[in-house]
Amino acid sequence: MTGTRELVLEGITDTDQLIREMNNRFPCLKEMPCLLAVDRHIIHSNTLLREDQELALLPPYSGG
Amino acid sequence: MKEKIKNIFIEGPITGSFIGEKIASHQSKTAIGGHSIFLGQVRGDIIRDKTVAAIEYSSYSEMALSSMHNLREAIISKYALTCMHVYHSLGKIKVGEICFFVFTSAPHRKAAIDACAETVEQFKAEMPVWGKEIFEDDSHQWKVNQPL
Repeated sequence: MTGTRELVLEGITDTDQLIREMNNRFPCLKEMPCLLAVDRHIIHSNTLLREDQELALLPPYSGG
Repeated sequence: MKEKIKNIFIEGPITGSFIGEKIASHQSKTAIGGHSIFLGQVRGDIIRDKTVAAIEYSSYSEMALSSMHNLREAIISKYALTCMHVYHSLGKIKVGEICFFVFTSAPHRKAAIDACAETVEQFKAEMPVWGKEIFEDDSHQWKVNQPL
């Protein structure tokens, strides 16, 4: 949706900061309710991040 | 039942011959008394005067495969299934083609039927798979799953 599949970010310490950074880079994300997965697990509240973790922004699913 | 993670994704549509082969391959499992099968077919929806020609499916497959593995283990255990297979297409699937195949087998029909239904609903709710509806005029929009 943003036209970017993969991005490497530095200096992000938690997921709230990540969301702010992503919304700044891709304003269209503000209109889109996404789930956030950290190392393939959905998280529901602010989570501290370590180096080299895999994060994914997941829009509403439509498979099946 | 601890098994290695299965790849549920198929590039392109799921064909009738693939489905038939899967059914035939279970004939040797003599504990099975009933199979339940769900097939998801791409529907030619008309949305604001535009007709869907195809859906292009993509997935966060690393996460989908491990989520599906966990779902499969849970369903097999809950319903005491003999066997269970789930397949989903990736790529562009035309209207009328099959994109989703759930196949559950058990000694008795109720377990197979109930497990199949629950698997379909859980998959649609929980799996990171997305469909982009491609209209006849080549424009597109992202699909949103509807309840039942």
